[in-house]
Amino acid sequence: MTASADNDKKAIIVERLEKRFGEFTAVAGISFAVSAGEIFGFIGANGSGKSTTIRMLCGLLAPTSGKATVVGYDIMTQTEEIKHSIGYMSQKFSLYEDLTPFENIRFYLGIYSVPEKEWQQRISWVLEMTQLTAEKNRLTGELPPGLRQRLALGCSLLHRPPIIFLDEPTSGVDPLSRRHFWDFIRQLAAEGITVFVTTHYMDEAGNCDRIVMINEGQIVASGSPVEIIRSACPGKPDADLNDAFIELIK
Amino acid sequence: MKTKNIKAIARKEFYHLLRDFRSLYLAFAIPLLLILLFGYALSLDVNDIETTVADREKTDLSRDFISRLEASPYFRIVENQDNIKGVIDALDQGRARLAIVIPSGWTADIRADRKSTMQVILDGSDPNFAGISGSYISSFIARYNANLLADFLDRHGMQRINPPVNPQIRVWFNEEMESRNFIIPGIIAIIVIIVAALLTSLVIAREYENGTMETIRSLPIGAGEFLIGKAAPYFLIALTDVLIAVLMGQALFGIVMKASFGLMILSSSLYIIVALTLGLLISSVTKSQMTANQMAILITYLPSLLLSNFVFPVSNMPVVLQAITKIIPATYYIDILSGIYLKNLGFAQLWPDLLVLLTMSSILALLNYLVLRKEGF
Repeated sequence: MTASADNDKKAIIVERLEKRFGEFTAVAGISFAVSAGEIFGFIGANGSGKSTTIRMLCGLLAPTSGKATVVGYDIMTQTEEIKHSIGYMSQKFSLYEDLTPFENIRFYLGIYSVPEKEWQQRISWVLEMTQLTAEKNRLTGELPPGLRQRLALGCSLLHRPPIIFLDEPTSGVDPLSRRHFWDFIRQLAAEGITVFVTTHYMDEAGNCDRIVMINEGQIVASGSPVEIIRSACPGKPDADLNDAFIELIK
Repeated sequence: MKTKNIKAIARKEFYHLLRDFRSLYLAFAIPLLLILLFGYALSLDVNDIETTVADREKTDLSRDFISRLEASPYFRIVENQDNIKGVIDALDQGRARLAIVIPSGWTADIRADRKSTMQVILDGSDPNFAGISGSYISSFIARYNANLLADFLDRHGMQRINPPVNPQIRVWFNEEMESRNFIIPGIIAIIVIIVAALLTSLVIAREYENGTMETIRSLPIGAGEFLIGKAAPYFLIALTDVLIAVLMGQALFGIVMKASFGLMILSSSLYIIVALTLGLLISSVTKSQMTANQMAILITYLPSLLLSNFVFPVSNMPVVLQAITKIIPATYYIDILSGIYLKNLGFAQLWPDLLVLLTMSSILALLNYLVLRKEGF
C-alpha cells in the first residue's frame, strides 16, 4: 500500500465509488474519507443511496466501479477481513426475537470467534452496558424498542471492532432512549472507536463531528454541522441542519 | 470452514425450533401420527368383504354354499335378504360391498348337471377394492366348481383327472403379502420430507422476513458454514424420526428389518441431505415463508407421496409421469428401503440408487451455495 501519512489516520477511504442497478445509478461516483475515532454522519433521505453505500462498505454488496478501503482492507477483495473488523447494526436491530438476550449475545460471540474464556466477561459487559442483566432470560421480542436497540449495539461491539456502522440506529425509539444512545456513542468515540452513522433525524445529526450529505447518489455537502449550516444558509443565523438540508436538496 | 461458526448457527437454529410449537409438532407429532394412521387405518389389504346374500332357494345346496362363503376369511356376510330390493338397499347404503343372488332353480340345475347362473354384484366406487374382491369371489367359485365337478365324476363312476397345469405359487420378499410391509418404507420417506424439506423451507425465508439476513451477511460467516449450521439440527431430528419409525414398525407391526442397519442409516442420511438441501434452496430463492411452504409442498411433499411408487404403482402411470418419477428422490429411497426391508439386499445391489441420491444432494448443495454467494455471502 502506498498510503500517505495522512491516510494512515483514516478509518475509511472512498474514491469514486459507484453502484448501478441496471439503468439506475444508486451511488454516482462519490469520494470521502472518515478519520479514526470520529463520529461520522452520513445523511440523506430514503432512496438517496446511503444504505447502498453502507452496504458496499460493509462488504455486503460489490460496487460497480471505484474503490474503497475500510480499516485498510479493500472492499472488493478483503470482505472477510472487513466483516471481522467492523460492527454493523441495521435499522431493524436484527436480533432474534425468539431468543433471549443472553442467547443472542452467545450467537454473536460464536460467530466473531471470541475466545471462549473471554465469553463470561464480555457477556456481563454487554448485559451491564445495556442494563439487561435482570432481563437476560426474557425473550428479546418482549423487550421495549429502546432496550432492543441497546442490545443490538452491544452485540455489534462484542468483538471490540475499531469501527462500527449504524444504519438508522434510532428509528422507532423514544426520545429519552435516543438521548442515552447518543451519550453512549460519544463515549465509544472517546475510546477511539470510529462511528459511521446514518440518520434522517437532523437534530441527531448535530451530534456528529463531521457530516456528508447525499442526495440522488451524489454528495451535496460535507463538513462539520456548523460549517454546513453556514454555507447552505448564509445570512440566516438561527438556521439549523434541517433548513440546510432542505436548502441543499432543492 | 470454521466449526465454531457452524456450531453457533446450529445452536441458534435449535432454539428457534424449541420455541416454535408448530415446528416441534411437525417434527415429532406428525411422524408418529403418520405411522399409526398408515399402519393401522390405511391398510391396502382386502379382508372381511362385507357381503349380502339373497338366497331364493333355501335348499341344502344353497345353504352349504353360503356357509362355505362365511367360513372364508375374505368374506363376511352382513345381511341375508329375501328379495332383490333388500340387496339394492344394502349396496346403496354401503352396508355391503358385494352381493350374491342365488336365483330360484339354481339347485335343480346343478342337481340335473345343467349350467346354472349366480349373480354377483360388486360396489365399483373403489376400483382397486372392486378388482381385488372380484378376483377373490371368482377364485372362491372356481374352487366350489372344482368340488362340484369332482362330485359329478364320482357319481358317474369316472376317474378324477388332475388339471394338466398346476401352478405352484410362492410369494417372495413379502411372503404374507401384507401391504404394511411395503407401506413402512413409504411412510419413512414422507416423514423425512416433512421434517427435512417442509420445515427447512422456512428457515432462510424467516431470516429474510425478520430482517436478520442483513446482519447475518455483515458477519464473518461463509455460505457453506451458514448452510451446514442451518441444516444440522434438522438432520438430527429427521434421523431420529427415521429411527422412531423403524422401531415403531418393529414394535407395532412386527416388521423386522432384515438387512444391514448401517446401510439403512447411510441411505437415510443421504436422502435426508437431499431433502434438506431442497428445502433450503426453496427457502433462499423464495425469501418468503408462505411462498416457500407452498412451493415445498408442491415440489417435495406431493410428488413424494404420489409419484414415488408408494401409493400408486409407477408401472401403471403414463410415460410422462414415469419420467418424472425418475427425478423424485423418494423413488430411489423407497426402492432402497424396500430392498433392505423385504429383499435383504446389500450395498452390492443398491449402490446405483445410493449414487443417484449422492449426485442429487451434491448438485443441490452446490446450487444452494451459489445462490447464497450471489446474495452477498
